[in-house]
Amino acid sequence: MSDGLVSAAGAERAATRARWTPPWRGPLLLLGIAGYLVLTYVLANDTLYVQGLVLVAAVFGILAVSLDLVAGVAGLYSLGHAGLFAIGAYGTTILHNDHGWNLFLLLPASMLGVGVVGLVLGSLSLRVSGLYFAITTFIFTLVVTVLASDLAITGGYGGLIGPIFPEFPSSLEWLGASLIWCCMLALLVAILLSLGIRRSPLYAVLLAIRDAEPFAAAAGARTSLLKVGLFGLSAAMAGAAGWIFAFQGIVSPSQFDWTVSVNILVMVILGGINTTLGPVIGAAFITTFPAHVSINPFWQEVLFGAIFVAMVIVYPPGFMGFVHAVFRRAVELVRRGSPDEAARGAASPPVALTAAPRNGSPQEAAPAFAVDCRAVSFAYTKGALVLRDVDFRVRRASIHGLIGPNGSGKTTLVDLIAGRLRPLAGTIELEGHRLEGTGPPARARHGLMRTFQAPVLVRELTTAQNVGIGLYTRAPHVVARAPVWQTLPGARRDGRELRRTAVRSLSFVGAGGWTKRRVADVPHGVQQLTQLAAACAPEPSAVILDEPLAGLAPSEVEHTGELLRALRDAGVTVILIEHQPRFVFELCDEVTVLDAGEVVASGPAAEVREDRRVREVYLGQ
Amino acid sequence: MLQVLLSGLASGAIYGLVGMGFAIAFYVTRVINFAQGQLLMVGVMVAAAIARTGAGWVLTVAGGIGAAALMGAVTYLVAVRPVLAFDRSSFAWLVSTLGVALILQNLAAIIWGPTSRPFPALLNDRAVHIGGATLTLQEVAAIVVALFLAASFELVRRKTLFGKVGMAVAYDPEMASAIGANTGLIAVIAFAVAGMFAGVAGVLIGPITYANPYLGNTYGIAGFVALMIGGTARPVAAMAGGLLLGVLEETAKSVIDTQASDWFPFVVVLVILLLAPQGLFAEAGRLRELGRFRRRPGEAAS
Amino acid sequence: MSANGEHALEIASLRAGYGRYDVVRDLDLFVEEGEAVALLGPNGAGKTTVLRSIMGLVKHRRGSIRVMGEEIVRMRAHRIGRGLAAMVPEGRRLFLDQSVEDNLLLGALHLRRDSDRVRRLLDSVYALFPALSELRARPSAALSGGQQQMVAIGRMLMSDPKVLLLDEPSLGLAPLAIDGVAAALEELRRQGRSLLLVEQRVDLALRVCDRVYVLSSGQVALEERAADVHAEQRSLISAYLG
Repeated sequence: MSDGLVSAAGAERAATRARWTPPWRGPLLLLGIAGYLVLTYVLANDTLYVQGLVLVAAVFGILAVSLDLVAGVAGLYSLGHAGLFAIGAYGTTILHNDHGWNLFLLLPASMLGVGVVGLVLGSLSLRVSGLYFAITTFIFTLVVTVLASDLAITGGYGGLIGPIFPEFPSSLEWLGASLIWCCMLALLVAILLSLGIRRSPLYAVLLAIRDAEPFAAAAGARTSLLKVGLFGLSAAMAGAAGWIFAFQGIVSPSQFDWTVSVNILVMVILGGINTTLGPVIGAAFITTFPAHVSINPFWQEVLFGAIFVAMVIVYPPGFMGFVHAVFRRAVELVRRGSPDEAARGAASPPVALTAAPRNGSPQEAAPAFAVDCRAVSFAYTKGALVLRDVDFRVRRASIHGLIGPNGSGKTTLVDLIAGRLRPLAGTIELEGHRLEGTGPPARARHGLMRTFQAPVLVRELTTAQNVGIGLYTRAPHVVARAPVWQTLPGARRDGRELRRTAVRSLSFVGAGGWTKRRVADVPHGVQQLTQLAAACAPEPSAVILDEPLAGLAPSEVEHTGELLRALRDAGVTVILIEHQPRFVFELCDEVTVLDAGEVVASGPAAEVREDRRVREVYLGQ
Repeated sequence: MLQVLLSGLASGAIYGLVGMGFAIAFYVTRVINFAQGQLLMVGVMVAAAIARTGAGWVLTVAGGIGAAALMGAVTYLVAVRPVLAFDRSSFAWLVSTLGVALILQNLAAIIWGPTSRPFPALLNDRAVHIGGATLTLQEVAAIVVALFLAASFELVRRKTLFGKVGMAVAYDPEMASAIGANTGLIAVIAFAVAGMFAGVAGVLIGPITYANPYLGNTYGIAGFVALMIGGTARPVAAMAGGLLLGVLEETAKSVIDTQASDWFPFVVVLVILLLAPQGLFAEAGRLRELGRFRRRPGEAAS
Repeated sequence: MSANGEHALEIASLRAGYGRYDVVRDLDLFVEEGEAVALLGPNGAGKTTVLRSIMGLVKHRRGSIRVMGEEIVRMRAHRIGRGLAAMVPEGRRLFLDQSVEDNLLLGALHLRRDSDRVRRLLDSVYALFPALSELRARPSAALSGGQQQMVAIGRMLMSDPKVLLLDEPSLGLAPLAIDGVAAALEELRRQGRSLLLVEQRVDLALRVCDRVYVLSSGQVALEERAADVHAEQRSLISAYLG
């Protein structure tokens, strides 16, 4: 089944559909906020008992949202949030009680202070992977708790008495308890922040960092900075939660021990990890559970434990995950009869790439070779050279093939050019800039994009969203604007433009009919095309394609050939690793042949093809 | 001085046993069983209950160890296997094993009450004098048993076919199943063995701490710290980690003050995590390096 | 064909994949008893998926896979590895923290009760690879690529399987080592073993095998007898070289 091709008309229809966002989104949000404010009013005027529950639920709601940002979105599982929370609460109490700091000043102070601690903790995640990071944060919480129990300044096991939150002035007394308004509004801000990030292009990039880090790095994202920064933001939110919590009366070590950290994680998982409302629902459920189920406290814990086990086994995506899945199913059923499938048509010339070369500037100033590697050597482990003194020069605006048997070092050479590996010896120049010491993001910013041998994409996002990740370097100020994305009209406009560009790029490669499908649900060939679209979307000056034809049907192969020619004619330099020699020799201007880490032949395609040594290498003649 | 060392080794032996329990389960399944500490508690409580029926010490000890081993296997089947079946890389077992820990702890409190119950003295009423130091026979037994179990485990792991199959499953579970190893069964056995280690620790510590449903928390953390010190490359390293932890704790207690044993272990762990995240005794990165560039299935080298 | 008329390996209408879409689509192929068959084709065509499906390592597989007449498509991986089929996977995947002989003995795991048979199998592996008997106690991590490949093939043979599966055994090996692999495979063929070989190097495949399948996009695109390929080398070469 040839699924990849789309007619020009179908591409336009796809682009139009991408422009359309449900018209009810904006008003729905406002309605939600209004309803939330009404609820706050009701709760702020309710009994003290209810208010107490609300406070705790809201505080843990903020904590759960903050944890979901790092764990659900970026994949950094932290068991340290109770510790961060504790620092906020204790810091607020001590600085107010003992040093007379202004209560309202303490909010930004707490966020800043805990945020900085978060940055430090987050930077540990760069040295230490997934599980070990979780363990390190777990130890962090233990240390904080022990310090809180043993130091005099923190009041030891008994803890400290927290500050009192000022009431409303008499004119606003009708609103009810000021503390309730405070914590509910803080929770609302946290939710909107989370929503903002999810609606911005940064979301896709963060998911890529979680699932497909090489892809994110190759697209130009400084993954380390983003991870650490996000953790700092999450910590700041925990600090705010700590500030609020101080007002409920007592701040003692037992309220912040490691079980609390795990409870927050449970809230996130139960409510639905990586969703906006899931963590809040989970937090509300778990904190108010004892109130609803008034039984023997031991049986209550047993029930808790049983719920943890059952939820994780029965439905890991959690409550909101379930809701989303149902919603997605419904949408799918509705879309069954859509023109999506019918957009497949006969082969047609690709939609023209509206790109000028990135440096539309004079060719005279630019070097003749877009990529220039000299005397490059590399070994993964000591003593086993994978590449030996390799010279590799690629002429600008040409298609240059790189072929050789498996194990000859082709992907390694490409990884070196793309910055994923550092050479043992030799130099690598990109557009005349020496780059062998830099990483992938620097290469992307110099106009080099690449694809991977096995498609490295975010499976739960659509193909269009994945291509959007490739546009990261073209999106202005994504990170700074992300948390408030939907409130800035400029941002929304940029987002729409990004989506349009992504869809156009997908149409260009012939996958225009698949823009709304999740990568997990598309065939291998379409995943390849998505990778290609992501590499071409930011109008690069050079692209490296690692086996772009793997898994493609013959018609798709032809189409890809036309694409590459179109790219070259638009001034883009194309480096191509492929296993189908016929395709390579027909398409490429120049070819380099590698075998066992050394260059066997290099030059114009026709010459290399007739080279006796090349035939030896491939057929052992 | 000698007293500090020996007392430290005695408590360290227990930490090491719990730590090895964590390590064995993790080694085979890459899962940290949050209920490991509670398995120790199960050992103590069941043994105490059996002792109350008047049965001899053999039945008491065997019953406690057996119950802990059984609970270990049950934990795997109920809280870990379904999670891994759904998604091999999921962290959700953090939540489900914690759920099991909560259930075990509170069920114990419900069945036997939340306060300490008596535990037969076993060997605790006899004192032993070594050099200038004094230990109870129970403490000496703890050190001896712990070292014996650790050595036996390592011997079985390296020298018997069963152990080698375990190593294979730990190293490359897919290839292990390709040569005919039933990885599911081996995982259950690993958890049962981990439970057994916890149960042994339980009956060794019972005479000293009595039977209390909340033992799991303290010893769970200590055992976990032992695992961190020893690293995850070889389960036996957790025993070394536990002994070291015990001695450091006793030293801190005598040199600084009695409260120091609270925070000193964590400082140690923090230092270790910052300097050597894989633990002090990890295999010098060789295997890590070799594994790092293993391609994903289906992706050919070029 | 074996005595009862069954192929050593018979695959019919196999569909297999890792997600919602299949990598292998409606595949038919067979290996006669005592035959060596090659599976060629570009990357992404599904060759490795076919081998992994036979070994039971691919969760989503449908259709029919029969080894000596026994249907194994629904069997658990560890049952298949107990004498029905055995594999040398891509990248060898030895248990690098164990010695050469340990790796070999693990291959015979399901035969552990019959120590004589294990002894005989071990001797036959050392006969096939005399260099290995010097290296018995060596930790397998210390071996070169070519030596590790010998151990991997030995481990496969130790389970005395009905069908031998090899996934790109020449990958990353020096020419001399590749020669050694080819010689060993030829010897196995002479001994009457049934082989399914996935390869990128056409020369190796044609040297060792009787028949060749070329896979493309998850389906069989071409089936030729190796002898015919030699005679009409041009057509296969042009498919590959143009």
